[in-house]
Amino acid sequence: MLFALIRKELLALLRDPHGMAALFLMPMAFIVIMSLALQDYYSPKNRQLEYAVQDQDQGPQAKALLAQWQHLHNAATASPADWREALRAGRLRYVLVIDKGFSEAMSTPNAPRSIKVHLYAEPGLEHALFRSTEAELAAAVGMQRSNALQERFMGISSPPGQDIPAMVSAERIGAGTHPTSVQQNVPAWLVFGMFFVVTAISTLFVQEQRDGTLARLHAIGVPAGKQILGKALPYLLVNAIQAVLMLSVGVWLMPHLGGEALSLAGIHWPALILVLTSTSLAAIGFALMLACLVRTHAQASTLGPMCNILMAAIGGVMVPSFVMPAIMQTAAHFSPMNWALEGLLQVLLRGGDLAAVLPYATRLAGFALLMGMTAVLLFHRRVKS
Amino acid sequence: MLNIQDVSFRYPGAAQTTLNAVSLGLERGRVLGLLGPNGAGKTTLISHLVGLLPIQHGEIHINTLPLAQSRRECPMRIALAPQEYAFYPMLTVAENLSFFASACQFHGSRKVVRITACMALGQLERFASTRANQLSGGLKRRLNLAIAMLAEPELLLLDEPTVGVDPQSRAFLLDAVKALAQAGTTVIYTTHYIEEIEAIADDVAILDHGTILRHAPLASLLAEGGALLTLRVAAPLDAVKTMLQSFGSVQQGGDGEIELQLNPEASPAAVLQAIAAHGIELQMARYGSHDLERLFMHLTHRQLRDD
Repeated sequence: MLFALIRKELLALLRDPHGMAALFLMPMAFIVIMSLALQDYYSPKNRQLEYAVQDQDQGPQAKALLAQWQHLHNAATASPADWREALRAGRLRYVLVIDKGFSEAMSTPNAPRSIKVHLYAEPGLEHALFRSTEAELAAAVGMQRSNALQERFMGISSPPGQDIPAMVSAERIGAGTHPTSVQQNVPAWLVFGMFFVVTAISTLFVQEQRDGTLARLHAIGVPAGKQILGKALPYLLVNAIQAVLMLSVGVWLMPHLGGEALSLAGIHWPALILVLTSTSLAAIGFALMLACLVRTHAQASTLGPMCNILMAAIGGVMVPSFVMPAIMQTAAHFSPMNWALEGLLQVLLRGGDLAAVLPYATRLAGFALLMGMTAVLLFHRRVKS
Repeated sequence: MLNIQDVSFRYPGAAQTTLNAVSLGLERGRVLGLLGPNGAGKTTLISHLVGLLPIQHGEIHINTLPLAQSRRECPMRIALAPQEYAFYPMLTVAENLSFFASACQFHGSRKVVRITACMALGQLERFASTRANQLSGGLKRRLNLAIAMLAEPELLLLDEPTVGVDPQSRAFLLDAVKALAQAGTTVIYTTHYIEEIEAIADDVAILDHGTILRHAPLASLLAEGGALLTLRVAAPLDAVKTMLQSFGSVQQGGDGEIELQLNPEASPAAVLQAIAAHGIELQMARYGSHDLERLFMHLTHRQLRDD
């Protein structure tokens, strides 16, 4: 009896390719993706950040400091003329600006406090990364100053630490909002949650097909487009409620739990609504396409979440994409969740307006259109099968 | 009212056709019992009628209009009650009727009237606020039928509408179908229960392997058996069959029986006399009209519930 029961169970499993995929392929895919994504997690994360340099000094000390910095970090990107705008938009992570007179000041015991190395960071740079970069810069300047003074005074070792902090300044460019755990996590998990409508939509769709309600509706002449629209519109509302709830959690609940509050002060509301709407359309389009693709409840309940988790892992929802290696950061650009997340970060962290989020919203809307059209084609085939 | 002419269909990639030159006609207000074992092509034929499958070959006309044109002009002319419970289990009876009435584009008083009428048709008034998933099998079948009748279709397709219901609900449903036909609705009724066909059908079509084996009024089909003599004898069947061939066409039936379709000039008495003259012991003789199940087995050589 027991043998028969075990055999039955194994046969049922072996004949369920989607169950097998969920059991074996998904963990394998996760191992690959998450390992790649996190391979640099325990090495200093600021070493891969894209940055530029404005050397207004051009002296030997400035060149030595930058050479040392570039030795430990990536090579600097060519500094654009509008580097402040590039920072504000998140195209650069930080810019080092070395004031004119820096080399002279470094080898002067009582250097003027107005001459500094400035660290300007983009508004979305994770707080810990910002502080660690500032600290590393201060250490590098300190070492540089120590060496310069020793060289100048032949062995006189001046305590460099006294005026080092005064020689380094650090600030963020852009909106007044500073990135916190809440500020980063709310958009990430909001996007993730919005895409999870796939399970609800596909489960009901499979049930409708199995029960013959789709055939019945077709028989009385309800057009496929209308049926699809009838599914999409309620989930726009669902996504809107999700957004309101999750933003409310960040704004009102988190402070009560001892966390920092999500700040919505000064954000561009039309831009936020545009990103959320396009994200919702993309999520619903994807859900409808998948719903028209799957044929069983088992497929509906495994394939959708599996795709969502993979898109989230690749798209920087689970691990910020800036800590991923270059190849994964490139891959992230192909995940709709990444477009949605970047769009939200533009609004919530960088003070982005409609123009700033339009590229992301356009990509999301295009994805939604593609998925929707595929869904209609698959729907026609499905209702007649 | 319905005229199906020479319809054939082959599913993509299939080796054989599912429907082979099917032709059927049905007048308004009549009930056609469509009999066929599983896989005979019944569902394919119904799928054509509700526009789920395109017609590859042949023609279907509804009231002289081509089917496609008829569906374009008024898709609700034909309604389907599939064998599944084709409604939403999480909605109440009233909510389901309201939803499908809206899907039929009924609004205002027309919607209320149709919902009330169909609720009454299914005697579902007491269960209006009950969720569909909490209904008994019989009540679910009634709801299925009530939804199909919302649009007052001219042609009602009932696909095994009594599967899994108790005898009372079955009797109720059969009475309801008869009443609908009397009121002018044309019905195509598929089932595995031959006694239901015998109870309500005006016409019967027997479909097997995509081919209509017989299509005739029920009374005519049953009367066809008037010349059928069924015998069971205590003798080698081959010898007896050879002896009987002079009286008509002989076939071996089930349970060791011999079915003799008598020639017009032959009589049952002459056959029995011949058997006695040959000293063959006669164990059983039956003469008279067919029952539908025997006719079905005779034509298809299978049980109705065979796969």
